[in-house]
This record gives sequence, structure tokens and C-alpha cells, in this order.
Amino acid sequence: MEFLSQTYVALRGPTGAPQTAAEIVGKLIDRLSPATLLADRRAAVLALKGLSRDHKQDVGERALPGLLQVLYNDAEVDPDIGKATLETLTMLCDVEEERDLGFKNTDAILENEQALHALMALLADNNFYTRFATLQFLSILLQNRRQRVQSYFLTAPSGSRSIIAVLEDKREIIRNEAIAVVKSLITQSADIQKVLAFEGAFEKLFNMVTQEGGVDGGAVTEEALICLDSFLRFNSSNQTYFRETGLPSSLLSLLLFPPNMSMQELGPQEFALQFWDDQKLANASAVVGIIGLLVGSKGAQEQPAYIRCLIEMALASNAPTVLKTKALTSLPSNLNFPMSDFILTPYMPVPETNGEEWDRLEAATALDALVELALHGEYNGMDAHKRLSGGLMMRAAAVSVFENFVRKEERKQAFIQRLVPHVGSELLPNPLIQSLVMIPNSDTPLDPVMVASTHFASLLFSHLLRNSPRCKSLARSIKPQPATGSDTGNFFVPADTTAPQAPIPAETLAEDDEPPQTLCQIMTENLSLSLLARSRANNSDREAREWDRLIVAYLCLLSQWLWEEPGAVRDFLDAGGLGILVEPVNYASEGDLVVPGLCLFLLGICYEFNREPGEITRNTTYPILNRLGVDTLIGRMSRLREDERFKAVSPEISVLPFNTTPVSHLQKPEEQEGEIWFDWAFVDFWKSTYYTVQRGLSTEPDQLASASSGQTTELTMLVSSLREVIRTQSGEIESLNAQLKQTLSSNDQLATLQKDIAKLTIELQESEEKRKETDREHEDLLVLVDELSGKHAQDKARMREAGLDVSEDEGEDGDDDE
Amino acid sequence: MAGISWNYVFKFIITGDAAVGKSSLLVRLTDQRFLANPDPTLGVEFGSKLLTIPEENKVIKLQCWDTAGTESFRSITRSYYRGAAGCLLVYDVTSRKSFVNARSWLADVREHADPHLTCILVGNKVDLCDSESSSDRRQVPMEEAELFAKEEGLLFVESSAKSGENVEKAFEDAARDILSKIRRGVFDDDRVSSPGVKLSKPSNVALDPGAGSKPSCCNS
Ligand SMILES: Nc1nc2c(ncn2[C@@H]2O[C@H](COP(=O)(O)OP(=O)(O)O)[C@@H](O)[C@H]2O)c(=O)[nH]1
Ligand SMILES: [Mg+2]
Repeated sequence: MEFLSQTYVALRGPTGAPQTAAEIVGKLIDRLSPATLLADRRAAVLALKGLSRDHKQDVGERALPGLLQVLYNDAEVDPDIGKATLETLTMLCDVEEERDLGFKNTDAILENEQALHALMALLADNNFYTRFATLQFLSILLQNRRQRVQSYFLTAPSGSRSIIAVLEDKREIIRNEAIAVVKSLITQSADIQKVLAFEGAFEKLFNMVTQEGGVDGGAVTEEALICLDSFLRFNSSNQTYFRETGLPSSLLSLLLFPPNMSMQELGPQEFALQFWDDQKLANASAVVGIIGLLVGSKGAQEQPAYIRCLIEMALASNAPTVLKTKALTSLPSNLNFPMSDFILTPYMPVPETNGEEWDRLEAATALDALVELALHGEYNGMDAHKRLSGGLMMRAAAVSVFENFVRKEERKQAFIQRLVPHVGSELLPNPLIQSLVMIPNSDTPLDPVMVASTHFASLLFSHLLRNSPRCKSLARSIKPQPATGSDTGNFFVPADTTAPQAPIPAETLAEDDEPPQTLCQIMTENLSLSLLARSRANNSDREAREWDRLIVAYLCLLSQWLWEEPGAVRDFLDAGGLGILVEPVNYASEGDLVVPGLCLFLLGICYEFNREPGEITRNTTYPILNRLGVDTLIGRMSRLREDERFKAVSPEISVLPFNTTPVSHLQKPEEQEGEIWFDWAFVDFWKSTYYTVQRGLSTEPDQLASASSGQTTELTMLVSSLREVIRTQSGEIESLNAQLKQTLSSNDQLATLQKDIAKLTIELQESEEKRKETDREHEDLLVLVDELSGKHAQDKARMREAGLDVSEDEGEDGDDDE
Repeated sequence: MAGISWNYVFKFIITGDAAVGKSSLLVRLTDQRFLANPDPTLGVEFGSKLLTIPEENKVIKLQCWDTAGTESFRSITRSYYRGAAGCLLVYDVTSRKSFVNARSWLADVREHADPHLTCILVGNKVDLCDSESSSDRRQVPMEEAELFAKEEGLLFVESSAKSGENVEKAFEDAARDILSKIRRGVFDDDRVSSPGVKLSKPSNVALDPGAGSKPSCCNS
């Protein structure tokens, strides 16, 4: 500080009159020139540094070029001046207080690549302060103008090597700063990601994680893992290379999951039961994210160990709820894992041990454990009554995994088959069905745990039915063993106690003469009961909301079941469905439209697909619709999509914050109460079928219209376009056939012609031969004739000589003529 | 991942003008495929392959990076040179220009790469040549390229990513050359191993006794 004040004094001039900041800066930059002594330059930089806090504009406007010169010429030689210059520049680019100035200075510094290249060279300097200040300056440049820095980085002679080298720095502060710089530097630049990976970034980051103690490490571990994630997430080249490195199996080891375990071996306890804190959770969560990336990317051929690690973490460990959720959502959507064969052992905390002692439960298949998790939440629903968002999200994630798993028709059918009675085999009570048919007790306040279980059961079940005519029809013959109240019949029991047979309630045994009800009948009754209970006047808001949610669960499932399934429509109507649905429509208040809207939707589906003979026909329904006013009905039905609870749902989001409780901002979102109304599958189903339902409502009973085929408009269009395709294609086939025939026949012709030609050629040759022969004969003949006529003439002459009378023949006349 | 073992990992880079067939050579090597219209955005820019060199009794894991060929990316390409053990310098036999440019690519390699880097000059798309026919598209005579390679101390081969001809050979020739450098102790001499050559982890393979320790011929 001493010499700083000296500088000021020196600058104040002889008179001691105060000068403006601009004037001081002007004097200082003169001193930056290489002509002055290094010590003077150093003092000038320090003075500028002091000034730049309060006079950023003056310093920035005038001193930048001088400071950069010092950076280029002196920083390497003199760490002190280097540090001071870098810190001054960093301050000048700060955008926190004076935003525009910060950007302006950044732009001036990045006008060309020189500064950035100089920084890369400075990184090679092992001096702590130089390195640290360089990284901090880089950091702020990246933050302000990332793309420009990236493009200069690519032209820096040894940029990538310098950056990788600082990742290895033993000094923690430098390493932390280096990770931050790398994270920013690789953002959205596949080329930089690739070249740094080539230079060994993966290994360096992994070393860092290991040195820090793996997932037990501190914030550096988390940063390094997040950085690794960004190297891989959108870069298939890097993913391929990463798989090459052998590091993926180290990811499993970080979570204490043995990479080379056989599928028959049970997962080890040291993996399943660990001590967790917030930092470890964040670290493990980053690891799970990377594993998810590897198993989810196209062309992934990871061994089942990776999937298994995620599954065991979610279903058979004491990992924190958010981590379980992340493990579930990280599973690939085309899940190819033997869920129904794979055996695992869930755990339960021993009560009153504060999470320090755990019971190992009976082994179960992964599929059963998954369903159990969705139905009741973690640890047999231990905390289900709190209905925290985190728990609900985990259960929703479990439902999504189930949905993905049963996307294959044969898996759906196999699941449903297990629920249908077969001759000769006894049906065990199934937890999914039991949760689905729990009878809501309308005499006491509704049990929120039961509502959630039934709701999740309805979501699971609807994934089995949607899009599968076979399963919809099979489901009609399910006859559940009735369960009462919220007696959920816990699925899991500690391994050391014997599993009690699920108790069959005494009442049902007593009134045995009645045939057992079908699932559809029970659900219709439960719906009716709930609607009645809901309409009671003395409900609190909260109580009413619970009932609404339960009703929504029933209605959504029934809608998806009855759609395109006249048999199930028949069952529903025979169970009194029509009256149940009309009632709330009739009395719909102007308030909440979700329940009446859904009732109407289901009513529309019933009308549309009421195609089997029975007591209640389309003809009997039609006047009722008319009395209610079809237009009003349609209007009300369509307003469902304006409801926030409907609109807020997306493929990723189905758990919403429970808005009626005051939100404490101190709590994490997952620790606040949440609720679930719809899942994306239903929203999607509603949107794609709603138009058909609406149109169906306004058709005459005898009209087959769209109803006859039960096709959505999309499907109709698809069919007609396919018909069109078939028509044009068969036309094409025909004409091609004709062409083919023609070609074939012309081929034939060609062949005959060729044969002909060959024959003709031969004939020609023959006749040629003949002609030649004839010619020759002819010639011979001529010669002969010649000879003969010669002889003849001689003879005549001799005869004349002999005095014989010789006739004058023509030949001689001719001869005369010539 | 399990059960496969190798003696060495060699890092290779493939460089040369755009459109000479670098990506195609890599795809041919790793996938035995050829794409007539490769998707440039697909980024097939890394691939690996196990090569067996029987006469050396060695298994090599080749890790190949395809460098982007455009001028503007040359500086990145330089970073790759430094870390590589082998380099395929590719030109297109039907493009004179790509051959001429190979000289400047080579200059870059010489300037930035490890001096012991093995470089093979690869004349690609040889399937488009047919000296018998009038439609021969060759613009670079083989003799000329061969001479150039000889002068510059490069290996040389003409290949076709399309037919597959000589593709593996190009990589194998280069790998053999690196192996022989290792055998001759080129890398030990400098006490710096080439950045692009790595011995496999001992757990992956039983190390060939000849590689590290003395030959064990007189043990019995
Ligand atoms: N005929 C022929 N075409 C090739 C050959 N190799 C690549 N090509 C084609 O040349 C074009 C450029 O290839 P590409 O691999 O993308 O070149 P790169 O830019 O060097 O990666 C593509 O249309 C390829 O199909 C080859 O050996 N023979
Ligand atoms: Mg390419």
C-alpha cells in the first residue's frame, strides 16, 4: 500500500492540485510503455488496478492496449506484474455492476486472437498466481463472449494441451477453477469436446474424482462429473471413445456396484446400504446421469450390469428418493431387461433406528418390486401419508418404467393373463388389482394413502389396456377378491418371518352365494360411491379434492378401457354406468369442470361404442343426450383442456405441487406436498380421441358413421390414404405385369427372330455356296460351251475342207453381227 | 468389453482435404460398410478396431480419430498430430488438387507431430480408376505418388473405401511400422514414449515377455 500512495503522490503533481481520473490514467499509461523500468510498469499497473474499481470507464477506454502489451511482454517474466495485469483486466470485464462497460471491454480485448493465445501460453506457467489469475480471466471472458473465445481457442497453437495440463494441477483452487473453465469452454462445441477428449480429458477428470474419494468426495467431484457429462451428452464420437477407455465400468465401481457380477448373484449389501449426505447424493446423481446417457444412447451395447445397477438402486437400496427417481428415469425407454425373472431383495429400515439398521426383505422379481414401489411408495409406504412431491415423482417414474416395459404387446398380455382366473389354478390376490378395487370408505375422512395407491394402480392398469384390444377384452373377466378399506395387504415381508397368506375378508366368505363381481362392476360401484360422497355438503375443500382425484382416477381408466371395446361398454352400462355419469353432468356447477368434463367424455365413449345388444341401447341414450343439450355437453367436455391440472402435464411432468398448502420457500420442491391428477398418456389419449367422441355425441343412434368402425379421424385418413396407395400400387403392378408380359413375349419373338436369322444365315451361306458352285458350274459350262463351239467350228471347217455340206447356223450369224 | 485383450493401443489420425474419403475409410475399417452419401452431421469421427499382426504375434487396438478436413479447422487438427502414433494422410486419386494439398498437410504434420510418428500416404477412391477404359478418372499417377512418398519417407498405398481394397492394409502397414519402431527401441531412446502409443494395462493381457524383459530363451 505504501508505494501505491507514493504513486498517487507522484501523480498529483507539484501543486498538489487534484486531477481527474482520466488525467491520472493518462499519466499511468505512459508509464506502461516498455521504455520504462519494469518496476515502474509494475507500479503503474497496480495503480490502474486500484483505479479500475471506481473508474472502470476511464481505465477501460485508455489503458486496455497498454495493459495488453504488458500482458504479452512482461507477464511471463514477472509474475507479480502478470498477476496485477490479469486482475485488472478481469475487473474491467466484470459485468456484474457496469454491464455495458464490461461487455465493451471484453469485446475490445477479444478484437483479435492475440490476447486469448497469450492466455493459453500463460497457462503453461506453473506459478500459482499467474495460473490462477489467468484462469479467472479466462472464466470471465468465456462468461461474457463464449463463442468468440471458443473460436480463438481452436486456433491457439497449444490450447488444448495447456487446458488439460491445468486439470492435473495438484493445487485444489487451480483445479477447481480449471474445471469451471473447461465446462464453459466445451459448451456446445463438439470440436473442442472431441479434441480435449483426445488429449485425455476423461482420464484427468476421472483421476480427480478418484483422488477426491469417489462419490464421497466434495464439490470438486460433483463438478468433475458434471463436466464429464457435458463431454458426452451430445457427442457420439466422444461416447464411442469413452466406451473404449474402460472408464464406464469405473462408474459402476464408484457407486460400489461390482461391474462383473453374474445375474444370479444377489446385489451386494455394501452397494444397497450406504450412508448418504447431500454432497454424496449430488455426486452419485451425476454418476447415474452418465450411466443413463450410456445405456440410453443409440447403439448402446452396455452389458446388463449398467441397467441392473440402476434397477437395484431404485428398487433395492436405501438411496435417497431423488436418486431412486433419477435411476428410474435414466433407464432406456426400450427397456430390455428380464424384469419378471430378475430377483432382488428390497430393504426396510428398522423402526426407531434412524436409518442405521435395515431389514433385508424377501426376494422378489424386479417387476413385482417395481409395481409395489408405484403402488405404495418406498418401504411399504412408510412415508406415503406425507405425500411429498419427491415420493410421488418416484412412483410416477416407476409407472413410466412399467409403461415402457409393457409397451410390447406380449408382455402386456402375459401380465393380464396372470390376473384372469383359469380352470384348475388358484388365483393369488394381486397387489395391483387389490389397490385398484379398494373400496373408499365414505363414512370417515378419505385416506390419502389409499387414494394415491388406487390412483397409481389405475395408471399402471391403463398402461396394460391402452392400445390393446386383446387386453381390454381379457380384463373383462378379471374377478378380484374384494379387499376392504385401505387394507392394502402389504406385499413385502421381512425375509425372516413367514409370509402370511393374504387374508380373504370374512364377509366375502360369508356371503358366498353371490357370484364374485367383475373388476368393471366393482370400479363402477366405487365410482358411484365416490361421486355420492363427493356431493356431500359437509366436505372440507381438502376432502372434496381427495374425492375428485379418486374420481378422476376411475374415470380416466374407464375411458381408456371402454374406448373401442363395446363389450366393456356393455359391462359398464349394465352395472348402471349411464345413471352414474349423467348425474354429475346434470348438476355440474360452474366451478370445477374436471369431473363433469370427464364424466361427459366417458359418456360420449359409451354412446359411441354402445354397439352390443343389451338393455341400454344407443336409442335409449339418445333422448337423454338431447335433453341435456348436445352442444352444452360438448362445450363442457372440451373445457377440460383449459384446466391447469390438465395443461401442466407433459411427458416428464405429472406430479404437481399441492397448491392449497402454503408453500415454504425454505423447503426443496421434492419435500413439499404434491398431487397427481393425470399422466401424459391420458392427456395424449384424450387429445387424440376427443374429436371423435365429440362428433359421435351429435350423431343419430342408428348412424354408424365414425362409430361403426370406431376409428379416429386420423385412422380414417390413414386408412383412406393407404387404400389410395394400394389402389395406385395395384395399378402399377398391373401395368408392370403387362409390360413384363410384353417384354417376355418380345423376348420370345426376339429369340425366334434370332433363330430365324441364324437359320437364314445358314441358308444364306448354303445358297451362297450353291450359288458359287452354280457359278463355277456355269463357268465350267461356258468353258465347255466355248470348247464345244470351238470344236464345232473346227469340225465344220474340217467338214468344209472335206467338202461336206455344212448348214449355216445362227451362231455364225451372230458372229457376223459383231 | 470383457475378454478382449491387446498388447498396445495406438492412436491414429486421419487427415487430408475434405471429401477425399476420410470418414468413409474409418467407417469401412470399423463397420465394413460404405455409405455413398455419408451424413456429414452424423459425426462418425472416432472409431476403434483390433488388428492382429501375426508375424509379430501382437494384437493392436487402433483408436482412430477422423479430423475435420477444412482449412478453418487446421489448428485443431494440429492438436491431434501431437498425440498420435500414426497418421493416414489421405488424398483422392481423382483429384489432383487434393494430392497437391497433401504436401501442405504433410508440412503441418512435420511441424507439429512427434518426430517418430508413422505416416502413410493413402490414395483413395482407386475404384474410380480403370486404365483400360476411356472413362478413367485418375488424375494422380501411382508412380508419381509413390515417388513423393519415397522422397518424404512415407509409407504408401492406394485404396478404396468403396470396395474395401487396401483399407485394412493401410492401417496395418502403419501399425507394423510403429511396432518395428518399438522393437528397435526408437521410443525408449528418447526416454519419452510416443504420446500415441500405450501399453495395455497388465490386467488386459499377459504381457509378451519379449516386449519388456529379456528374451527367455535359455531357461531350460
Ligand atoms: N467411388 C468412391 N467414392 C468414395 C470413396 N471414399 C469416399 N467416397 C465418396 O466421397 C465422398 C466424400 O467422402 P467422405 O468420407 O465424406 O470424405 P471426407 O470429407 O474426407 O470425410 C462421399 O460421397 C463418399 O461416398 C471411394 O473409395 N470410392
Ligand atoms: Mg468427413
